[in-house]
Amino acid sequence: MRPPIPAITAPVTRRKLNHYGSAGSRVFDTLNVVLLIMLGLLTILPFIFVIAGSFAHDAEISQRGFFLWPEAATLETYRFVFSTPVFPRALAITIGVTVVGTLVQVLMTFLMAYPLSRRALPGRNMILNLVIFTMVFSGGMIPTFLVVRDLGLIDTYFALFLPLAINPFFLIIVKNFFQELPEELQESARIDGATEVGVFWRIILPLSKPILATFALFYAVGIWNDYMSPLLYINDSTKWTLQMFVRQVTISAEALGNLDPNYVPPAQSLKFAVIVVATLPILMLYPFLQKHFTKGMLIGSVKG
Amino acid sequence: MKRRTFLGLSSAATAAALAGCGTSNKTTTSSDLSTLIVMAPVLDVQAPSKDGLLQKAIQEYAGRTLDITWVPNANYTDRLTVTLAGNQLPHLMVVTSKSPTFVRSALAGAFWDLTDTLKAYPNLVAANPDITKNASVNGKSFGVFRLRDPMRTSVTYRNDWLTKLGLQLPKTTDDLYEVAKAFKSLSGGAIIIPKFNGYGNGSPFDIIETWFGAPNGWGERGGKLVPSFDTDEYLEADRWIKKLVDEKLINADFATMDPTKWNDPFVQGKGGIILDTFSRTTQIYGLFKALDATDYGRSVDFTGNLAGPHGMHSYPTIGYNGFIAVSKQSVKTAADLDTVLKFLDTMSAKKGQVLENNGIEGTSFTVDGSYAVFTKGGDADVVNNDVKSFAQLGTNPNGNLYYVTKPANATEQAVYERRLKTQEGDMTSAVQNPANALVSDTYMSKGAQLDQIIGDARLKYFAGQFTQDQYTAEIKRWHTEGGDQVIKEMNELYVK
Amino acid sequence: MSTPTISGPRNDEVTPPQRKVSVLTKLNHYKWLYLMLIPGIAYFAVFKYAPMYGITIAFQDYLPFLGYSGSPWVGFKHFQALFSGPDFPRIMGNTLILAALHVLITFPAPIIVALLLNELRIEWVKRAVQSSLYIPHFLSWTIVASLTFLLFGLDPGPITKVASSLLGHQVDFLADPAWFRPLIILQSLWKGTGWGTIIYLAALTGVDPTLYEAARIDGASRWRQMWHITLPAIRSTVVVMAILLAGSLLDTGFEQIYLMTNSLNRSVADVFDTYVYIMGITQGAFSYSTAVGLFKAAIGIVLIFGANWLARKFGQSGLF
Repeated sequence: MRPPIPAITAPVTRRKLNHYGSAGSRVFDTLNVVLLIMLGLLTILPFIFVIAGSFAHDAEISQRGFFLWPEAATLETYRFVFSTPVFPRALAITIGVTVVGTLVQVLMTFLMAYPLSRRALPGRNMILNLVIFTMVFSGGMIPTFLVVRDLGLIDTYFALFLPLAINPFFLIIVKNFFQELPEELQESARIDGATEVGVFWRIILPLSKPILATFALFYAVGIWNDYMSPLLYINDSTKWTLQMFVRQVTISAEALGNLDPNYVPPAQSLKFAVIVVATLPILMLYPFLQKHFTKGMLIGSVKG
Repeated sequence: MKRRTFLGLSSAATAAALAGCGTSNKTTTSSDLSTLIVMAPVLDVQAPSKDGLLQKAIQEYAGRTLDITWVPNANYTDRLTVTLAGNQLPHLMVVTSKSPTFVRSALAGAFWDLTDTLKAYPNLVAANPDITKNASVNGKSFGVFRLRDPMRTSVTYRNDWLTKLGLQLPKTTDDLYEVAKAFKSLSGGAIIIPKFNGYGNGSPFDIIETWFGAPNGWGERGGKLVPSFDTDEYLEADRWIKKLVDEKLINADFATMDPTKWNDPFVQGKGGIILDTFSRTTQIYGLFKALDATDYGRSVDFTGNLAGPHGMHSYPTIGYNGFIAVSKQSVKTAADLDTVLKFLDTMSAKKGQVLENNGIEGTSFTVDGSYAVFTKGGDADVVNNDVKSFAQLGTNPNGNLYYVTKPANATEQAVYERRLKTQEGDMTSAVQNPANALVSDTYMSKGAQLDQIIGDARLKYFAGQFTQDQYTAEIKRWHTEGGDQVIKEMNELYVK
Repeated sequence: MSTPTISGPRNDEVTPPQRKVSVLTKLNHYKWLYLMLIPGIAYFAVFKYAPMYGITIAFQDYLPFLGYSGSPWVGFKHFQALFSGPDFPRIMGNTLILAALHVLITFPAPIIVALLLNELRIEWVKRAVQSSLYIPHFLSWTIVASLTFLLFGLDPGPITKVASSLLGHQVDFLADPAWFRPLIILQSLWKGTGWGTIIYLAALTGVDPTLYEAARIDGASRWRQMWHITLPAIRSTVVVMAILLAGSLLDTGFEQIYLMTNSLNRSVADVFDTYVYIMGITQGAFSYSTAVGLFKAAIGIVLIFGANWLARKFGQSGLF
């Protein structure tokens, strides 16, 4: 149910609207563009180095330091990465766990945030206090592990997203967002006989698209980047996620490996290639969701 | 309608949370040891599959099934911790170091004390009793140690520079000084040293201090154990190092250089001397080989330990890398222990060692004299990959009985043979650390902090931030902030 | 009760008319809301509160093998060790200084960048920049440290070369204690700013673009438009983020600091998290690290509620 497009109500004035405003405004705009493009370059160049390194020979990486284009490009590393089913399997597992996990986490968070956004709900403040308490106090790695184990979740994919199902920070922000939605729509829906659940499903959620997109992104990235959960809860090496590999190759273990002469440190280009394989898919998520971040999604639904 | 959907969704979410059935409850209540449950670190990206050829071959040879959980080594200690807390320990666990957690757990009864039992198993008797001592906790063995080379110290040089300058390989520290000066005039740099945290962990500084005659960690002086930094030779060595730093014969960023990039300045020609282990030498040969496959032998060369001003003293390793420990909880009786130790004994026999370190003869490698030549392609590749992980389960206290990989060409053959000779020679002057076997309470609770005082002070002295007096003042601080207590405890344990 | 805003009473402020209602009637009235709460409450109960007993190891000499019931009790020994240790004032000082820098620099940065992005008219630049700004968030601190060493190291260190020639003397970014904090902040800015803008940009989607048109027609300058339209739109988000930041003020991030610490800059680099690592993790003293965590959490909870109270004083709804 899309909000109606607002009619332009402001009359066009006689004075020709200079779309770009005053001279000062134009200077600002130019500086702004330059600054932001520079920031964009600053953040993307190191990643380009990583990509370039994944296509280079180790000898070149040792010799050149920082570069953006390999002199002697090679597909050797990627051939190795995909030569076994190990990486494609980990990629598929990570994508699967992330998709399902994000759905569960977003659903649980929004489901909990809505009732807590209703100030009149008895017990609300107590629950909120309990939630805030968990933001700083935590039992720690070992008791959480024991709980997961006692629930029988060890070596299951559920253990990769359930223990972190609701992030209390996110919960609070979503709740606050719900609190700021205008009341009239919900009131009119309730008068029309809709239940709380109906209000939630039909009114609140469609209005929350930017927030849904934002936290879907946050939760998805959280699951994708999490290496502690698979490390602690997964025993079967065929169930490894991508982050396990990233850590295996990047924590080159100078402390761990030096004692073991059987240990040959991974090629530097392998480190880069694994990072690229593990990062590119999730990087694609934001541009994909970006269309939900367009302005003015909320206006129009409340006019009149 | 909507309510039901919601009720459904809500309860589904909750149910989903509790529905995930765990199939791998590794409770080990019975004494059924036909399947041994093992936990081991994996260093590689790919862990062996339990249906792999190699695992099948090993199981057939040992006569029992193995249920192995391969844990990425990057965070192995975390996994060890939760496993210990979880009270469902595997029968056999690889323990990667004699950490305080391991020591305290062992003393609290987590693992079997094998000190007196091992001698009944011929392949588990240590060929080198020094290593048993090093691996013990105040004399007690709480696991079977995993054998490693006892001497790995090697100094790698740019041989083409030596040739160009008309110099020979150094034999003493004075020679090293001359070579370093010559290298600097040629390329601007000489010795390359990266960042090392702490003290006593095999850094080039520790190596040089040993060369000068200082104890390796702890040494006996006048009948008592003293820490190495309390000796004159230690300060003498550090003064010598400082001289090198001041003359820019050691890279200026020795305190901050990224250790993962240690080889780079060498390859780039910014320095020509590295003090580390034979693994590093091999890596550097490999890098130069990639750059020039025919002539690389002439660009790189190496020596072992060098003689200091007071004679030859070599820096050894502790000789082992962790243990395989047997859980007392899951291996309940002495009879069960016997079964498990028989398994380890079998694996340490020559055939077992070959399986764990070489692979399957005929399928993944062939024997050429005393060497193994690895096959390529198909099954062999999988086995060759799995072998890297199974080597982690090998203990080999009776010595390495498996085949060494055949060197690729004449250059590498020569390197290999010279390396063996160098190692053997250096072992005769190895300076052992008598404190390796001793575990002091205070050191367990404060050791890392105390080590840091020395490590930091040493580097600050080299960097010029401390004068020698300030340095010795810091050493004194080590004493007053707990070091004296450690010395006392160490000496009490030493006498016993 | 806060007064209704111009757009009408908010969702959370409508209360039923005053009459005697029994508790059960109230509960029944809201029964669907409670049902919606069930999965969430179950989650918090099982995964957050059930493990909470783990905090007690702060008062024990915990050994994983002996478990919670088997490990000896030592009361406040660890807290005493923490506070009376000779390093404590230095560690506290370093942590507080870094925290202050984060509040002053890394917290506002995403807000400013989000506002700048919002002012961009050229859509393709906006999208391109947005898509690249957040990339550093995905690189682990190990990689960030690696890149830092590469760029700021003594050799080859391109940035070091430039800085040294500009300043006239050899700069050693990695060893010099004076550069430690700037480098840390720079890293945090690089890694976190882009990602941080996302939440503010999401908040800005709620702004009606016709408001800008109307304001322009009324003769408002760009600055006034921002002040009266854009800023109020993200005000509540900023407040919430600030309150949440207060709770984790003393968390400086272990991995980042640890990788950048070395013997020469340790005097300024040591913070709670790295101190705990040396004292606790490497020596297996889980109890000690839990004790420090408890200390930080206690301060954090005080700060959160304090910040929340402050926010309400200024008319914001805060966390509640």
